[in-house]
Amino acid sequence: MEKNASLMSFYYRHEFLIRRLHSLLGLIPIGAYMMVHLTTNASILAGSEIFQKNVDTIHSLGPALPLVEWAFIFTPILFHGIIGVLICFGGKSNLSSYHYVNNYRYTAQRVTGIIAFLFLFYHIMHQHHYGEWLGPYFGMFDPHHATSSVGESFAFWWVKVIYLIGITASIYHLANGIWTAGITWGLWVTPKAQQRADLICFGLGIIFLGIGLAAFYAASTVDIQQVRAEEDAGHDAEVLLKEGEDERLDPTEVPAEEDSSSAEAEEASTEEPTSEAS
Amino acid sequence: MSESTDQSNGKSPGSSQPKDTNKEGIPPKSPHGQGDHGDVSNKVKEKPKSLYIRILRQDSPEDASYWERHTITYEPELNMTTVLQRVAAQAKTADGKDVTPVAYDVNCLEEICGSCTMLINGRVRQACSTLVDNLLQENAEEIVLEPMSKFPVIRDLFVDRSRMFHALKKIQGWINVDGYWDAGEGPKQSPAEQQDRYPLSQCMTCGCCLEACPQYTKIEVERGEGESDEAYEDRCREAYSKGFLGAAAISQVVLFNLHPTGKMRAGERLDALSSEGGLQVCGNAQNCVSVCPKSIPLTTSIGRAGRATTVHAIKRFFGF
Ligand code: HEM
Ligand code: HEM
Ligand code: SF4
Ligand code: SF4
Ligand code: FES
Repeated sequence: MEKNASLMSFYYRHEFLIRRLHSLLGLIPIGAYMMVHLTTNASILAGSEIFQKNVDTIHSLGPALPLVEWAFIFTPILFHGIIGVLICFGGKSNLSSYHYVNNYRYTAQRVTGIIAFLFLFYHIMHQHHYGEWLGPYFGMFDPHHATSSVGESFAFWWVKVIYLIGITASIYHLANGIWTAGITWGLWVTPKAQQRADLICFGLGIIFLGIGLAAFYAASTVDIQQVRAEEDAGHDAEVLLKEGEDERLDPTEVPAEEDSSSAEAEEASTEEPTSEAS
Repeated sequence: MSESTDQSNGKSPGSSQPKDTNKEGIPPKSPHGQGDHGDVSNKVKEKPKSLYIRILRQDSPEDASYWERHTITYEPELNMTTVLQRVAAQAKTADGKDVTPVAYDVNCLEEICGSCTMLINGRVRQACSTLVDNLLQENAEEIVLEPMSKFPVIRDLFVDRSRMFHALKKIQGWINVDGYWDAGEGPKQSPAEQQDRYPLSQCMTCGCCLEACPQYTKIEVERGEGESDEAYEDRCREAYSKGFLGAAAISQVVLFNLHPTGKMRAGERLDALSSEGGLQVCGNAQNCVSVCPKSIPLTTSIGRAGRATTVHAIKRFFGF
């Protein structure tokens, strides 16, 4: 109790700084990360190899990856999320008396924040290997089978519903957040400027939603069997390539080998998913 | 809640009423020339014989509140202060029970002082500038009066808005001109500066912006048994200094920091804005600007003050 009180007193005494940090982190890195992340996921539409390559690029960080994740993603989200929940408790929505559009947006910003909080917890546990301990339907993302594992994780209709809600809420939260952040930082101050900024943020929101829905569509429509086979083939080719490098062979020969090995992999593909599921 | 059982004597629209209003010829603020909305405006023009007023009363700061229904004879072009005068003078409920007169605050009678601010049909506004004929368009059955919900009630509709004046003290809402010597003429102000400042100077500290603000929450300090006025004042100041300043005070910082003499204290005002309960508490709901009876560009002030405070905080951090 006492400790809580002194913690809250610390918060209130430094609220100005904390709120500015909260606002900044919402934009960078969290907002920026989300859009890069959704764009990366939407790249499944361009082909599973391209998505795999993007994932490989991220995972090429190797042992540094958790460091980067914690420094630029998890810590900022935790900070923004926890302060965000505190902010929600600090105000009291009065929609029933004041039906102004901006009042609805104020409440929606808080509601979508809470939805984002719940969604992110579920989502990270659902995909990231941190969630594996929760059971077979968690920690499902496999960086070596990027596309097919995302496809598998989207197998149930209710997962799709959760993602659809989570994506839409997060995108509203970001687009409206850019607008309020512009007031917070004094970038648009007059009503006219705020209206213009509003239009721009609305446009951004539509673009973001397009990207988000593209990612959703891409993840929902993966042909798991087919992609798994291609991935295994690609994986084998990579191993061959590495061996080839060791033997100082000309890497231009590799595509031919990749072709032949993909035939082998396709045979094996029928066993693969079942062995994975067990 | 249980007061409003006698709805049967709510109103008895006599057939002659519409004719009367035609003679009157002064339509309330309804949009003109809309033939197809005839039945709506007719209903509005059907003036009732009596007005029913439901009031949330409270005998003292410590007591619980309760509803009471009053009725007075309808007259055209009444404003709510006149209604309150009559309700108080009559001191009788709609059921004929004798009661203490309803207390309310009033002063200028022309929407300049802000003292008569209350919730009328759930919306915060000034009683003196609210016309009954307009209210009947919102709800023809009755008029509902409540004290503002964000300030401690002294009695009935009369609230204690001293927190707003504490906020003005905290942000130094004044220009320093007094001293031990003649400071001479102040610096000149350009017409552009005057144009910029004039709208902000119209604030009457009424509290509408705070009543409507979802981030502004009520602070009520209970008086201790036998506590002296000074001790109580101190405790109030202590409590208020931690609460949100609110849009009005933020806007006053902009007003006084734009003034050529006021500028000399600009840094101190911005420090106040970034202290506990400062402008960071704002959540950009923008209700304040929507309800301000003086149409003060409050959210513009909040944006400007936000930028100035951030720049000031950064400068101070690096010791400029
Ligand atoms: C983890 C759960 C989250 C919670 C509980 C949360 C909560 C909030 C709240 C309550 C606000 C309003 C702050 C204010 O009025 O000053 C806000 C603002 C904001 N949030 Fe979040 N949020 C969360 C996640 C996110 C995510 C994922 C993003 C990015 C995609 C984001 C970006 C923003 C931005 C840009 C703002 C605007 C800041 C400002 O107005 O100054 N938030 N958040
Ligand atoms: C169709 C939609 C989405 C898909 C397919 C998707 C997919 C993934 C996958 C596969 C991972 C695991 C990455 C890894 O472990 O390396 C992940 C992690 C993550 N996702 Fe999403 N995501 C989607 C939407 C979102 C949204 C809307 C947000 C909201 C901001 C979000 C935030 C995150 C975060 C914070 C992580 C953990 C960071 C990390 O692992 O590096 N995702 N996502
Ligand atoms: S800013 Fe407007 S609403 Fe607020 S106290 Fe001043 S006059 Fe009233
Ligand atoms: S903009 Fe800020 S001060 Fe105005 S009503 Fe909204 S939260 Fe309150
Ligand atoms: S009496 Fe002054 S504003 Fe109504």
